[in-house]
Amino acid sequence: MGTVGLIVALTCGVTACSVIPTGGKPISVGNPRKGNPLGDPYARVIAVPPSADWSPEEVVTGFRAAMASVDDPGRDVARKYLTDAFAREWNPQSGVTVYKQDGKQDQYEKAPPVQADAKQTRVTLKGTVTAMIDQDGRYWPKGGSLNEPFTLVKGAQGWRISAAPEGLMLSEADVDRAYLKVDLYFLDSAWQGLVADQVRVPIDPTSNFAKTAVERLLKGPSSLLKKAVNSAFRPGTRLIDVTTENNRVVVDLTKPVDSDRIGPMSAQLAGTLAELTKGGWGFEVRVEGKLYYSDSLLAIDAQQHADFDPWTAPRDVYPYYLADGALQMLGKENVGQPVQGRAGEKDGSRTRPAISGQGQVAALSEDGTKVSVAPLAPGGEWQDWVTGASLTPPSWDRYDTLWTVNRPTGHSSVVVRRDSRQQYQVWAPDLNAVHVTSLKVARDGVHVAVVVKNGTEEEVKIGTVVGQGNGTRITDLQSVVDGDGNQTIKDIAWKDGKTLYVLTGKSDLLEASVAAEPKTLASDSRIESITALDGSLLAGAQDDNGNRQVLYWNRTSAKWEPMVKDEKGTVLFSEKDGPSFPAYPLG
Amino acid sequence: MPSSPKKRRRTPRQVVRGVRRRARRAAGGVRRVWRRSLQLRVVTSTMVISIAVVAVLGVFLMQQIIATTLQDRERAARSEAQADRNAVLGYLNRPSGDVSKPSVDSGDGLQRGGDSPLSQAVYTLAGRAGAVPRYSVIARNDNQPGEFFVTPNIDPRSIPAGLREEVSKKEAGEDSTHYGDLYYEGRREPVRGMVIGTRLDTSGTMLDSGYEIYHLIPLDNEEETLNSVLRMLVAVGAALVLLLAAIASLVTRQVVTPVRLTRQAAERLAAGRLDERLKVRGEDDLARLATSFNDMAANLALKIHQLEELSHVQRQFVSDVSHELRTPLTTVRMAADLLYDAREDFDPMAARSAELMQNQLNRFESMLADLLEISRYDAGAAELDVDPVDVRDVVLRAVADSEALAERHSTRFDLRLPGEPCMAEMDSRRVERILRNLLFNAIEHGEGRDIVVSVGADRDAVAVAVRDHGVGLKPGEENMVFDRFWRADPSRARTIGGTGLGLAISREDAVLHGGWLQAWGAQGEGSQFRLSLPRVAGAPLRGSPLSLVPPEVEMRRTWRGHMTPVLAPAVADGGNDAD
Repeated sequence: MGTVGLIVALTCGVTACSVIPTGGKPISVGNPRKGNPLGDPYARVIAVPPSADWSPEEVVTGFRAAMASVDDPGRDVARKYLTDAFAREWNPQSGVTVYKQDGKQDQYEKAPPVQADAKQTRVTLKGTVTAMIDQDGRYWPKGGSLNEPFTLVKGAQGWRISAAPEGLMLSEADVDRAYLKVDLYFLDSAWQGLVADQVRVPIDPTSNFAKTAVERLLKGPSSLLKKAVNSAFRPGTRLIDVTTENNRVVVDLTKPVDSDRIGPMSAQLAGTLAELTKGGWGFEVRVEGKLYYSDSLLAIDAQQHADFDPWTAPRDVYPYYLADGALQMLGKENVGQPVQGRAGEKDGSRTRPAISGQGQVAALSEDGTKVSVAPLAPGGEWQDWVTGASLTPPSWDRYDTLWTVNRPTGHSSVVVRRDSRQQYQVWAPDLNAVHVTSLKVARDGVHVAVVVKNGTEEEVKIGTVVGQGNGTRITDLQSVVDGDGNQTIKDIAWKDGKTLYVLTGKSDLLEASVAAEPKTLASDSRIESITALDGSLLAGAQDDNGNRQVLYWNRTSAKWEPMVKDEKGTVLFSEKDGPSFPAYPLG
Repeated sequence: MPSSPKKRRRTPRQVVRGVRRRARRAAGGVRRVWRRSLQLRVVTSTMVISIAVVAVLGVFLMQQIIATTLQDRERAARSEAQADRNAVLGYLNRPSGDVSKPSVDSGDGLQRGGDSPLSQAVYTLAGRAGAVPRYSVIARNDNQPGEFFVTPNIDPRSIPAGLREEVSKKEAGEDSTHYGDLYYEGRREPVRGMVIGTRLDTSGTMLDSGYEIYHLIPLDNEEETLNSVLRMLVAVGAALVLLLAAIASLVTRQVVTPVRLTRQAAERLAAGRLDERLKVRGEDDLARLATSFNDMAANLALKIHQLEELSHVQRQFVSDVSHELRTPLTTVRMAADLLYDAREDFDPMAARSAELMQNQLNRFESMLADLLEISRYDAGAAELDVDPVDVRDVVLRAVADSEALAERHSTRFDLRLPGEPCMAEMDSRRVERILRNLLFNAIEHGEGRDIVVSVGADRDAVAVAVRDHGVGLKPGEENMVFDRFWRADPSRARTIGGTGLGLAISREDAVLHGGWLQAWGAQGEGSQFRLSLPRVAGAPLRGSPLSLVPPEVEMRRTWRGHMTPVLAPAVADGGNDAD
């Protein structure tokens, strides 16, 4: 009896104790906010075959949804919306038209009401065309209104489309769902800098975003950059898989790269995947599932691309500006300091300075006939590098060569490139017969932006630099800001290799790129010039009284704010030759 | 042709037979071990019982764990689904102007998804499910073309038709839960999971009621956890069973080992080693068993010792009495001889008395001699005087000694001796006495019929058999004939003056030689006595050259019953041989 009692008492006592422990040391858990490096969550449209009782408008809506379905690359379900004859000739691969509809107006043109016994009808899709997507995945912004007719006939199974526009018609939302925006990174001709190639890749639900991106990277650059950039991967390299392991994204390839291309390849991968991994994940490359080196793994730092090419994420780079006719460098406390050498001395005969990556300044003479260069070092003297009838403000590229455009007449332009020894003429057939008002080479050394004057209106084009020295060419110029409505352009400045800030004559600030429509940021009538570097955007401004100051764009308050402090620590606009023409190195 | 199939037919049968034989032998071995080992039986039954208990407990526990895990997951998923549905309703109810604000302003955050409110809602749900999605969502409205969205790589065939039917039948806003396989794009193997489906409750709004929302929750983590729990349970169960078996084995061993030791001690005690004792450790039941055993052995030894003592005293007494009787007997003898010699001068009555006295004195003397002889055996004082002799000579001498008596009983001897000499090492005086005794005995009980004396020899042994055709022996008397003073029929008188000790002394003589003296007899068939001796003195005797049962009897039995031609003599033979 006693034993039974003891057992009962013990059982009760033990079960009364709590199961979950209290106290003890805090347990460290891996950071769950690091997210999934292989892709963000997304939603996709599932194509549904048409139903017999749908109205013609509903059939067209269903067809549009079916075209937007990524599940089915051959668009087999979409074909079910078509009559048999049209389904055979319809080619979904022949390009993508992107359109936009604002919700306030009807999606379709009002057609005469369909009679119950009608055998044929027409539905017209209304909207605005915004872009085309080509085979390479390049997104070409475009304008124009959308007015696409769909002809439908009534068959045994309800309405079917018998004629429709060529290719796929996708709304912006559809493109957002069906395409992944990727910046592919390639290398410039000198294998030193990273060049971004902005493409859209169809989302593959059987794969993940990282895999899709790397697969596209291995396919090579889009046609625009094909001649200007290199890829470290050997031709025919394929991707086996992208996985995560030990806080690293593991990229498994079929072939290794040449031994001197490991650095460039690492930078390409890190740059391409940086947006997906948000900088929180390192990388590792394997070949055929095995470690890259026979005895050790090839680990790639998350910021490898920034280490490889400092200009992709520059740090500790200070802006320069003109004040009192002398070049000043803005120090840490936003207090200016004259630079060393002759450029730091009061002069006033030169304007529009441009700073090179290796400590040289180039400036345009007041009359626009001379571009002079001075080293930013003690004893650095001005030297005239380029002379011409009418020169544009100078621009440096990352190879330490100077670019400017000479305009012998009002309707012709010659692009000039000069390094420390020699001057070259750049072959740019598209620019020879127009008036170029500005030319800026991007920090990647490949992209170039030009402002072209066409009668009274000015437009901004972005092109590609191919070759070095005498063989330099500017090709594939593509308009990014149209000159609609007599628009003039005051200044342009590269943010990085992809984005260009454009200051219009009405002092509107636009953000333009080859892969998107220009976006309006802010306008301030006082601004006369701009410069930018990555996240920082500066403007030289002149108020109504002619006083000058350098402004910076405060992103949090979305306002322009004065920047340069004088000796007393105030940041007000000051006299006529106060701080003006800010310039970051390159760009 | 006929031979080869025969062969082929036989071979498998032989194989089967061989296998069966082997299996039977193995089974027999197992059965023997099972019957003999208490430990094995206890361990086996402990294992069987504990396996049953552990299995029942394990199944119960596992079911409980599975139920709890899935219940928790389902509850969490349901509340998540409820929250998601509210979010979706919020999106769908928003006035249409709000929905399609330019996406440029809203930035890159949650507002992706574009024109359709349902698509925006699904995008939001995809974001809620986490960067590494905890679940997938399928939202559709068949009443509106193009309204079918999923996140992110779930395959819509994960929703079985039955569930859709149930969802459409149920009230809007009511959950239907289904456990099944979830299919994902780009993954070949389906994942076990849970689907919670609902029709959106749009009452009180302008929306139509065709919105179906499914939450698909993969349970692969749970499955893995449960699998590892299951594995652990199985491992722990197996370990527990083995542990219990080991404990049972240990405990039984503690009991069985002393019992085994006791058994061995008892066996040795039974074999005559009376000084065998057990070690006593502790005070438990086994120790008490050992103590009792030791007490028993001590008492037994004491009693046996006393008995030995007593028998020694008796033998000594007989010997002393015989010796003491001798002196007066000699005197009586001398006086009787005188009387006997002078009986011619007595009247007939007295003469007859003198004769009687002389006869009885002779008998008394020989009885006394036999008593002395046998008490010498009892005292262990008998010694052999071994010489190699031919058994035939010994037999002939003994027959010659018995001729006179045989003639008196009108009995004839039939000698069957081998042609060549049968040499053996023996004390010829004693062997002659054995044979004389056997012959006298045969003459006495032979009722005048012929007596057959046969001699046989083989490599190791020689044998002499004396066969008479008298009344024979009753069953069981074959051994009693060698007892002291035993007589077959107590009413019968001893005609030739036997002392009743002859056969007893003969047997002692045979044993002294390391030989056998055995008797066979059957009522009406007569009897036969066989003496078997080793050729070399001291060598162990393994068999006899002559059969104990006379050949003609054996043959007759064979004729009579075909069934047991060999068995009967063998039994008789073996039974006596072992004596």
